Amino acid sequence: MADTDPDFVLVVEDSEEDVEAIGRAIGRSHPNVRLEFLRSGADVLPRLNQPDTVLPGLVLLDLNMPGEGGLQVIQRVRAEPALPHLTLVVFTSSEDQTEADACYAAGADSYIYKPINFALFRTVLTQTLDYWRARS
Amino acid sequence: MGDSELGWAATLHRLWTAVAAITARDQLAELVLPPLLGEPGVLGVWGLRHDPRGHTSAYRWAGLPLEADDEKTAEALAEAAPQEIPESLAKRGVRHAISLSVEVPGKSGGTMMALTDDTADLERVRACLAQVVDVAREAIHRLEGRRDEEAQQIRDALLAEASLQMDAVLDTKQTLRRVARMAVPAIAEGCLVYTCDNDTLSLSSAVHVDMRRLDAALNHAETTDGLGRLARCAVAGRAKRMHVEAPFQAGTRTLHPEVLRARGRVLGVLLFLFDRGDERIPPADFLRDLAYRAALAIDNGQLYEQRRRDVMTMQQHLLPARLPVAKGLHMAANYAVGDRVTEVGGDFYDVVARSDGTVAALIGDVCGRGPEAAALTGMARHTLSTLLQEGVSPGRALGRLNSGLRRDGSWRFVTTGVAMLRPGPSEVSVRWLSAGHPAPIVVRRERPAEAGRGGGIPLGVVAKPSIGRSQLQLAPGDTLLMFTDGLTESRDAGGVMFEHRELWNTLDRLRDAPVEELVREVSSASAAFGGGGGDDIAVLAIRARGHHDG
Repeated sequence: MADTDPDFVLVVEDSEEDVEAIGRAIGRSHPNVRLEFLRSGADVLPRLNQPDTVLPGLVLLDLNMPGEGGLQVIQRVRAEPALPHLTLVVFTSSEDQTEADACYAAGADSYIYKPINFALFRTVLTQTLDYWRARS
Repeated sequence: MGDSELGWAATLHRLWTAVAAITARDQLAELVLPPLLGEPGVLGVWGLRHDPRGHTSAYRWAGLPLEADDEKTAEALAEAAPQEIPESLAKRGVRHAISLSVEVPGKSGGTMMALTDDTADLERVRACLAQVVDVAREAIHRLEGRRDEEAQQIRDALLAEASLQMDAVLDTKQTLRRVARMAVPAIAEGCLVYTCDNDTLSLSSAVHVDMRRLDAALNHAETTDGLGRLARCAVAGRAKRMHVEAPFQAGTRTLHPEVLRARGRVLGVLLFLFDRGDERIPPADFLRDLAYRAALAIDNGQLYEQRRRDVMTMQQHLLPARLPVAKGLHMAANYAVGDRVTEVGGDFYDVVARSDGTVAALIGDVCGRGPEAAALTGMARHTLSTLLQEGVSPGRALGRLNSGLRRDGSWRFVTTGVAMLRPGPSEVSVRWLSAGHPAPIVVRRERPAEAGRGGGIPLGVVAKPSIGRSQLQLAPGDTLLMFTDGLTESRDAGGVMFEHRELWNTLDRLRDAPVEELVREVSSASAAFGGGGGDDIAVLAIRARGHHDG
């Protein structure tokens, strides 16, 4: 089984603005965390299944992306026997409770609201990373 | 001594200069602990961070490592100067321990200690340690001040964003779920929502940064019973923030209930769950404010719903309870109150079967909404239906209503359409009279639907009414569709009217549907086209029975 690096966070996000905001927020709150961005859900499994790869301590997933969305990514990751303990955090502005229920049913670890205000956005990410890093 | 003093003075100067640049407590440890190692005989410098309840929350060191086995020893040294050095330290060459408290009033402080061998000048080490403690105290003071300021900004942002979210919905449970989602994990690790129905509190939703962990906790009856008890105690005014000495399965260390109360009525309880240290738990005032805003949003939503129900009830009273049965005709009507409407509207319809065998169907729309429009609506419908029932000609009935409106001096006008239907041996002939009302549509059984003619001037505008008149024929299976302008004039996001895009396709699709389904579906299609923000819609459909209809 591949090693996991708690200081490595994989971000799956198609929005240019959100990629920039996530990079800026985590860069300030957790300067030692290494961020890698994927712009499409379809890229996730090939990335995680690369030979000799080190797995991320946490995957931050947007829900609504063109093509393969966050929910499908969760379903595919959870169906992968080699990735049983990967922490999957959905980070979305969706307010639809049925989407939250579907993500949890598929195996998401967290379903986190994506705020508009940047200070709040940064706090939410900080608390999420702190929580899961403390648990790892 | 002189060189050493100069060196220490330079070190102190560097420490004081660096204080302004520190942004985290861990940086502070890296700054203040190592310099004392440069003093002769100092083997290690240890730092303990305390939380507001006095528990040690972090252990840091420079030089002699502070291993997990040393934590109790370090805490004991922080408590009081030892009579003799503990054996575990003595074995590592430590002969003296000098401990000083880093107290910052109202904030989480700490303890710093220097561990020395026999060669150290203890007085000098103590003096140097005291100077470093001064630096640490100032750094903590600044860090805590900055953190308080940031925390306040976060709380302000959360309140603003939560208010936006709450304004967007009117449903109680959805409002509370949104508040809980906003709060987690920004200000708490979890939030349970209890709602109050008939004086009974029940858990209606739960949010946690780690839902699996919370679900596991809530699967234990003992836990859910305990949390429910806490929520009920909070309602009774007997529960406030409490610390859990043995954290339950969700890792929660602190529980904080806030009662949702608006205008003296208990709507529910928000129970916040915290895994974090006390210094990062928001003040009770803030949580109370958040709960108060949520309660207010719910209360407003409930008042809105009550008003909507009242409007719908009143609207029903302005309309006939049932339509008459008339030989040769199928009839159905539908009234849909606009989604965001909170006042009684002015649409009306009625059907009367006259003794001469004709059927008079009327539809109208009083301009405006509210109590005055409702009063006029009732008056217009009753005037017309009573006169038509008594055998008065439709033109004369419309004239009488026009006179009544003019006499009352109301500025409101009324668009009205009256269809006089006379079933014949093969077809139904229709005389249509219009006072500024939208033209009816004939939904043909065998061919595309077609519009009738409108015309005339709304009643109440001019002294001598101007009435548009036209004739229509309904073959068996054809349907006369009378409606108010809410049906045709609903607009999509681009401003296009239902009449100009979907209406005719919808009618073609519903051509063979029963009239009850026709009126319901065409109304729904119009409302959906307009995105739910439209006006009231009244639709009355009268179909000529076919020979096979019996």
